[in-house]
Amino acid sequence: MQIRVNSQMIEIFAGATVKDVLRKYSREEWKRVRSGENTVRDGQGHEVGLDGELGGGEELFIKPRAAAEPRS
Amino acid sequence: MRRVGFASLPIVLVFAALIGASATWATSSTPATTRPSLTGESSATTRPAQPAESHVVIFHTNDVHGRIDNFAKVAAILDAERKTGADVFFFSAGDNFTGDPVIDRYDPPGEPIVELLDRLHVDVISIGNHEFDYGLEAVRKLTARFRTVSANIETKGLLPGLQPYIVLTAKDGIKIVVFGIIQIEPGNGLPSTHPDKVKGLSFSEPLAKALELKNLRAQGQIFVGLTHIGFDQDLLLAKEMPEIDVIIGGHSHTRVDPAETVNGVLVAQAGAENQFLGRIDLLLRDGKVVEKKGRLIDLSKVRDEDPEIKALIAKFHQSPAMARVIAHAPVEITGKNALGSLMTDAICKMHGLDIAFQNNGGIRINRLPRAITLNDVYTLDPFGNQIVRIDMTPDEIRGLIWSSCERRHDIDLQVSGISYFVRDEGVLRLQDIELRRPDGSPLPEDRTYKVGLSSYIASSYQFAHKDPGRTLGITTAEALISYLESSPDLSVYREVQRAHYQKSAGSPRD
Repeated sequence: MQIRVNSQMIEIFAGATVKDVLRKYSREEWKRVRSGENTVRDGQGHEVGLDGELGGGEELFIKPRAAAEPRS
Repeated sequence: MRRVGFASLPIVLVFAALIGASATWATSSTPATTRPSLTGESSATTRPAQPAESHVVIFHTNDVHGRIDNFAKVAAILDAERKTGADVFFFSAGDNFTGDPVIDRYDPPGEPIVELLDRLHVDVISIGNHEFDYGLEAVRKLTARFRTVSANIETKGLLPGLQPYIVLTAKDGIKIVVFGIIQIEPGNGLPSTHPDKVKGLSFSEPLAKALELKNLRAQGQIFVGLTHIGFDQDLLLAKEMPEIDVIIGGHSHTRVDPAETVNGVLVAQAGAENQFLGRIDLLLRDGKVVEKKGRLIDLSKVRDEDPEIKALIAKFHQSPAMARVIAHAPVEITGKNALGSLMTDAICKMHGLDIAFQNNGGIRINRLPRAITLNDVYTLDPFGNQIVRIDMTPDEIRGLIWSSCERRHDIDLQVSGISYFVRDEGVLRLQDIELRRPDGSPLPEDRTYKVGLSSYIASSYQFAHKDPGRTLGITTAEALISYLESSPDLSVYREVQRAHYQKSAGSPRD
């Protein structure tokens, strides 16, 4: 299935979660998200969890976490 | 008739304090009324006269995935709200099961979640794909004990109690119609779980099924889609079905705060793993929803806990299940080669695969004792990685091995189904990787092989493969547990080496 991350198309196995896609997209970005420095958001700007399940065709964006924002 | 907006309701004061909401919500004059009696069945016969205005509160959760700790806080919030006399409901949008080994391996599996949802008086549960992970018997317990909904599951009598929708009745005679739908994968038309777990059931496309339910709108004053299809799909549903008042969703673990309004439909989802509790406030006037809003309560900021629920959770955490011995080995199984061989054999043998790989970094201990417990398995393999099947040619397999060696110029992948030999003469080339069958003969080059990888390898290692692959809906640790429980001959792991690396003088790590 295909997922777009920061406008880059990622081809990944069916049943992948958000963290799988991030690891495939960029090892460095994955580390920043895992540490809580950055967050992953969907096309509407909502934060998605790293174990969030994907069906294909979704669009994800990696954004810096705001200081007061809770960590999922 | 006196107009009463959300801003004048007393319970909002409690909620506003709880979530730190704006003080503009807070001037009150409406007295609290008595706790509603929730008959909660479509056959409810009594129907009190509906007052001109009613306020209904729906708390909701989704994708708890076995994380039970915050249920003591959820209980305190629900209890406080119910004591105000408000019309309070508690909905679950699915995937309560799977994610915490203590809960997954409880006897029976998932029982703590079931017990806690019961104690919290959950009003309705929408079945999620991971509800099936423990097998149909566990789902049957849910459908027998709770009101459960899912319209696109054809149960064929296997899940008594599961309904496409239900009608709950609130104290004012307000009827809440709640339907459920579950996601299915485009490839096999099944929810994301191991196909064996849903044998005997059939599933239809969720959005199409939901559209068939439009007429349910007429059966109540509040029309709710309690879905487990992911937020993107919820938005599509809202665009297609403006008859719905509220969609409460799950599956994508999306933190929607505040809830979004799309095409007049409020769409909510409360993240995952019990970190947030959703709250939806609905104001009805003359039997129609005239105001609706949804926010999330960050449970990390909630201090109140129900002491009884807290004690129950502590008891669940002391479950002896993890100490259960699942296999006896003739000797301790030690070292990456032996442990990796065991782990990959489990993947191959339990799932009919030709070849499997396990990276050394995913082998988290160096020794399994002779009496192997569940706890040992989850300590060895704690990451919850899924098994991914990719059909690969020998050259694609070489590419994977090349990718694994290229970084450290050493063995990184343990293997089952083949052995491999790498000659590193400074520059690593595909032709320097030799693949052999277990009998030592060369691996035939003219076919593809069913290869099992952990989701970590499948996503982190850079290697070309034509088949994108698919998860099997089961973790590598679960495969190992099943393998150990099948009483295999563990003496073969006394001394085993299937991955070989020969460095020449020119190798960078020589």
